[in-house]
Formats: sequence, structure tokens, C-alpha cells
Amino acid sequence: MATGTFSRGMLSVWRSLRSMRTALILLLLLGLGSVVGSLVPQAPNSPARVAELFAERPLLARIYDALGFFDVYGSWWFTLLYVLLLISLAACLIPRTRGLIRGLGSRWQPARDLEALRHYASGSVEGSPEEAVGRARRALRRRGWGVRSGGETALAAEKGLAREVGSLAFHWAFFLLLLGVVYGKGFGFTGQATVIEGDVFTEAHASYDFPPREGRFFGERHQGFQVRVLDFEVAYREGGLPRDFVSRVEVVEEGEVIRADEIRVNDPLEHLGVKLYQSGYGWAPVVEVRHEGELLVSDPLVFVTDDPNDPVRPWRGAIKLPGISPQVGLELQLLPDAAAFVAGMPMLEADDPFLAYRAYRGDLRLTEAQSVFRLEKELLEEYESGGLALGETVELPGGLEVTFRDVRQYTQLLVKRDPGIGLMLATALLVLVGLVPALYSSRRRIWVRAVPEDGGTRLEIGGFALQRKAAFDEEFDRLVRDLVPRGRVRVP
Amino acid sequence: MTEASNTTFGVALALYLVAMVGYLHHFAYRRPTPLTLARVVAYLALASHTVSVVLRGVAAGRVPWGNMYEYASVVGLAVVALYLVVAERRVEARRLGGFVLGATVLIMAASTMVYVEPGPLIPALNSGWLRIHVLAAILASALFTLGFVFTLLYLIQERRERRVERAVAERPAPAMASVGSGLPHDLEVESDPEEGRATVTLGPEQGNGHGGMPEGPTRRGRLPGAAALDDLAAKAITFAFPIWTFAVIAGAIWAEQAWGRYWGWDPKEVWSFVTWVLFAGYLHARATQGWRGRRAAVLAVLGFAALAFNLTVVNLVVSGLHSYAGV
Ligand code: HEM
Repeated sequence: MATGTFSRGMLSVWRSLRSMRTALILLLLLGLGSVVGSLVPQAPNSPARVAELFAERPLLARIYDALGFFDVYGSWWFTLLYVLLLISLAACLIPRTRGLIRGLGSRWQPARDLEALRHYASGSVEGSPEEAVGRARRALRRRGWGVRSGGETALAAEKGLAREVGSLAFHWAFFLLLLGVVYGKGFGFTGQATVIEGDVFTEAHASYDFPPREGRFFGERHQGFQVRVLDFEVAYREGGLPRDFVSRVEVVEEGEVIRADEIRVNDPLEHLGVKLYQSGYGWAPVVEVRHEGELLVSDPLVFVTDDPNDPVRPWRGAIKLPGISPQVGLELQLLPDAAAFVAGMPMLEADDPFLAYRAYRGDLRLTEAQSVFRLEKELLEEYESGGLALGETVELPGGLEVTFRDVRQYTQLLVKRDPGIGLMLATALLVLVGLVPALYSSRRRIWVRAVPEDGGTRLEIGGFALQRKAAFDEEFDRLVRDLVPRGRVRVP
Repeated sequence: MTEASNTTFGVALALYLVAMVGYLHHFAYRRPTPLTLARVVAYLALASHTVSVVLRGVAAGRVPWGNMYEYASVVGLAVVALYLVVAERRVEARRLGGFVLGATVLIMAASTMVYVEPGPLIPALNSGWLRIHVLAAILASALFTLGFVFTLLYLIQERRERRVERAVAERPAPAMASVGSGLPHDLEVESDPEEGRATVTLGPEQGNGHGGMPEGPTRRGRLPGAAALDDLAAKAITFAFPIWTFAVIAGAIWAEQAWGRYWGWDPKEVWSFVTWVLFAGYLHARATQGWRGRRAAVLAVLGFAALAFNLTVVNLVVSGLHSYAGV
């Protein structure tokens, strides 16, 4: 009994999935879901804003969270809608496609009751009925009609099959497009790599800034090649707006340089199916820290800024020295020159860079999760501050020596593989190619019958259009004039 | 250069207003002279507007559709050009120029609120695909705007006609002659001998257009029949839909080049998708029994609302990767 109800339920679900209205409603619901995603902050893109909402309006945030609104595109309901749409599309396209294929093979019956058609005319022509129909057949063919069946004294013709074919091509292409998105995501990955000038990046899971997003079926197929960033450059326009961002790189495989190339905005580098995009950049000062003569820090430090064009938000970073007692933390700011320390200036070039510092001591609280670019200052106290020009060294109380050795830049690359790209491009093209005839052509049919009369033949012509009926009025008139050139035409 | 561009923009705006008044006069009183004058002025305005856009491009040293002001200006230009050159070939559309120009004036006036001096683009926006993407979006937006104006008018006219039908049904008058008396003024349709039974059922299917029958002199201040308006709206939207589809695809190709993903549910992308879906719904609705007419029109209005939301609120308020295209 229960299974009976269940299968009946499934049957009715299946029936409604086969209707085009359902597909469109599912599509609209997907649209609605994405609207939610565009208005509610999304955790994968802006975790900070999500955290903010949790802090400010915890109840609302918890409701959003339960509904999956913070990650709409990863939520179960979005996936469900997507899958249902795919099923629904396939379910309504398969019968239509079958219908079209069957229709192509079959012959039609000449219509019996021409006068009942929306368009009808008759007129007298010369010659026998067979000759008249032959002439009509040639005339229709010349005008691009597909003459489908005939006999000696009658014929039927059709035009505008492109509409049905185009429409099906469009719908299937859209189906494949939806599938291609899933395929590309499932077999690809996306990661971000921050590489300082002179350094080498290896295309492997562990070398990304944070674990790359890998598709379910990607299966660790990283390519293992290396990219050495020779240098990074920003070209500016007058007035300080950037004109171009360029990373000059070498691709290295097994220790050998395979190629040298440039990565620019809008011009990614592709190697072994992996694409590298220019996505960000920044400054990386080289600061050396010695404690009682022992070198503690000497690598370049990645600095960040909240907005590279905002003068009041300079590039900043931090050094944390948990190994000495008490623990010491340095907050650093990189500025274009010493004057900028007061006035504020965007860091465009490193002609005369200036490193401002604030030194803190106490407990860094490194047992807590914290940003590498900031100090957790609750248990710290500031004990010294100042600034360094390039090459200068300062001694801090407690036996610390800080040297501002060099400034480099780093480039941020988006690295990704998407094997679905070719499919996407092809189906997008098919969407467009199918759409044009689906929208602008119309299917129409014509029947011609010849009946002998005194001294000649009477041609009867009937026709109708499935779409664009108004436009067919004129076309039909013209056709009739063509088929019955001199005879008198009677239009009922 | 910039100044000349702004001046010609102002001249165009003023002339559009003048032409709008002329068209509305023609709409209200059905005189031919105001129509002729309005059309001449509209063409002059269009010329001035074109000059403004071209000069803007020269001043910026790039295509003149790189920010919101320029985008809106070119949309306005395309609305008028498409109306004058394409839509007005249909005689009944000539009565509607006042409404179309009204929409244009609104778009242009709004664009001045986001005016910026011409300048170069940031690197990510400097791409061939982007230029094509934006141009296609502009063309489609202009056509959707025309479709929106026609749809609104359709909704008004359709309501009137339903009221007439109801009134006619309630008092089975002999023939179609003298229903006039008991009806509100604007509904004295059936008594118009020259339009015959046209108004209630007027449309390309029945009367006008068959064999190119000329349009009879029509009543003052009367919109074309609902069927004709519906047809005009459908033409505009059907024309726009593949162009919009292309715009979305070109945008995806550009996004793939610039950001490494063709689709990321960026707010701008979300709303163009929603627009696309709503208009696809409209096209289906028109092909479906029981959904033609008012229900389809509602979808078209919603589609236009999504389009407008994308160009205004999303650009100005909701941030996304696109937002640096911003103001
Ligand atoms: C899933 C079931 C669907 C069915 C059975 C279906 C069926 C149809 C049919 C019968 C037509 C008319 C074609 C013609 O007259 O030659 C059509 C047109 C169209 N369909 Fe669909 N459709 C479906 C889903 C969709 C979806 C999901 C979209 C997405 C946007 C879509 C977009 C269109 C467009 C743009 C047209 C052109 C409208 C026109 O011919 O005027 N369809 N569809």
C-alpha cells in the first residue's frame, strides 16, 4: 500500500518534471536563490562580512546559516534545484526531439479540406493539372520550400523547419551548458598563489596560500611544474591610476626552463591545462632581525593593504618573535618615503622607501588563531616606535637589531584548471546559433491541388502558419500571385 | 572636447523634450503637423546626441561606454535610434513617440547624476570582449526599454478593452453601433465607424496590416489596440533576447580572461541571469495558451525591473567585482 502511494507520488513528480512550465519555474527559483546570494554576504567570498553579521545580528545570522544563505551556491537546495532542472529539461526535450525525428521521416497526407484552412485561394492556370502541379512544385522549390509529398495533381510543402531544429538545438545546448559547469568544477581546481619576485612556485596542492578548491573528481592531478617569477611591475598613468599589471615568469619543468612569458590582466598564461591569472600584487620588504647577534628573521615579508590607492591605509605587516623572553612583536608599515609617514601617500614606487615600526612586548597569544599581518595586542605593551630608511639599522632595547634590507614586490596569481571550458564555449555558441531561427523563423505549410476545368486547370491553394501568422498573410498573397500568374484569383 | 560633448548632450536632451511634447500633442489631438515637426526635432536631437557620444569617446581616447554615465547615455541614444528607424516603420507606433522619448529623457536625466569626467579604464576593463559585451548589453537594454514602454501601454489599453467588453456583454446592444451613451468617455470605441470593430480586436491578426490596409483616422488620445501594442512589445523583446544572451556570453568570456572564471555568481552576473530567465519566461508565456497577454506582460515588466535594478542598485550599492566598473 505504502509503496503504491509512493510510486504514485513519484509518478506525479515525474509527470510534472516533464512539463516545460516546471522547468521554467525551477529556473526562476534558481534565479531567486542567486538573488539571495547576491544580497546576503557569501562565506566563501567575504567571510569577514559574515562574521560581522553574526556579531551584530546573531539571530538573523543563525537563521540565514540554517537556510544555507551564507553559501547559496554550495547549499543542498541550490544543488537540488539544479539537478531537478537538468532532469526536467532532459525529460521535456527527449520527447520533442523524438517527435522531430519521426516527423522528418514520415510523408504527409495532402489536406482534404483546403477551404477550411486559414488561408485559401484558387485560380485558373494554363495546361493540364499535372503540368500545373509540376510548375507549382518548381516555383515552391525556388522559394526554398521543402516539397514533401505529392502525387500527380497535388502537393504539400513546408518551410521553416529551422525553427524547430533551432529551438531544439538551443534547448539542448542550454542543457549541456548547465552540465558543463558541473563537469568543469568537478574535474578542475582553483587556487591562489602569492609569489615574491625571484621565488619559485610549484603547482602542487601544498604550495597554495590556502588549500585550493578541488573538484570532487579532481583527484590530486596537480601538474608539478614550476613557475619562477622574475619580476612584477605595475605601469601607472599620470595621476596614479594603474594602467597594467605584469608578472614576468619562467615556466620550469624538472629543472629546465621550458618557456618565458608574461602574465597580465586579461592575458593569462596556460601550461599543461593549468591557467595562471594575474589577480593581485603587493610589497614584500626584506627585514632582518637579530637578537643578541643571532639572525632570527631574514626572509621577505608579505605586506597587505586594504586598498592600494587609499593614502591613509599603507601597506602593513608584522613580525612575531615568540622565541625570546618577553615575547616581542613588531608592527610594520611600508611607505613611499619618510614624508609620507605624516602626509600619507600611496606606495607606487620604491625609490626611497620608509619602514615605520611599533615594537610591542609581552604575550603574543600565539596559541590563539590570528592573522599573520597583525598582532593580537591584548597582552602586549608598546615600548618603542620609529622608522627606517632603506639600509638602516635600529637597535631596540632588549638586544634586538632590526635592519631594513630591501624591498621586493610579490605577485598574486589565480591558478586554475577547468576542463569544461571547451564544452562551455561550444554550447554557448550553439545557444546563440539555435536561438536565432527559433525566434525569427516560423513554420508554415502549403497545400496545392489541381482540378481540371474548361480549357485549363484550376489550382487550389491552402496554407497556414504555426507562428507569425500576420507575416504569413502577405507571404501567402505573394505565393498565390506567383503560382497563378495570370489567372483570376478568387479569395473567399 | 569634453565640454562640447556635454553641450551637445544638453542640446539633445532639450530637443528630446521638445519632440516629446510634439509627439504627445499628436497623440492627444491627432494632427499631422505636430507629428512631422516632432519627428524632425527628434532626428536633430539624435544627431546632437550622436555627436556628444562620439566626442566623449575622442575625449576619453577609448570607446564611449566605460562607465555608468556613458552607458546610460548610449542606451538613451539607442532607444531613440531604434524607435525612429525601426519601430516607426509601423504606423501605429508613431502615436507612441511621446512615451518613448519620455523614457529616454528620464534615462538621460538620471545619467547626469552619475556624471564623471572622461578618463582611462583600469586594466581589467581594457579588453576587446568587454567592449563587445557592453555594446551588446546596451543594445539589448535599449530594446528592452522599448519593450517595457510598449508593455506598460499594452497593460493600460488591455484593461480598457476588457472594460469595454464587459460593458458590451452587459448590455447586448443591437450590432456595434451605439454603445456610446452609457460608457465612460474613453470607451466609446465601438461607435467609431472607421475603425469598425477594430479596436477591441484590433491587431495584426485581424485588421491592420492585412494587405497593408491604411490606418483609418483614429480617435483622439487613443492608444493603438492592445493586440498591436502586445505585438510591438513582443517584437522589441524578441529582438533583444538573443542580443542579451550574447551579451551575457561575451561577459562570461571576458570574466574567464580577466578573473579566471566565466561565472562566479557575482551580483552583476546574478541579475543579468535573472533578467534573462524572466524574459525567457515571457517568450514561453507568449507561446503558451492561457499565459498570453497580461500574465506574459507581467513577466516582461519584471524582466525590465531586474534589468534596471542591475544598472542602478547593483552598480551603486551592492558591491561585486564589477563594481569598479562603477561610476
Ligand atoms: C524544460 C522544458 C522546456 C520545454 C518543453 C520548452 C519548450 C519550448 C517550446 C515548445 C518552445 C517554442 C519553440 C517553437 O515555437 O519553435 C520554446 C521556446 C523557447 N524556449 Fe523553451 N522549453 C523548455 C525549457 C526552456 C528553458 C529552461 C529555457 C531557458 C531559458 C527556455 C528558453 C526558450 C526560449 C528563449 C525560447 C524561444 C521562444 C520563442 O520561440 O518565441 N526553454 N521552448
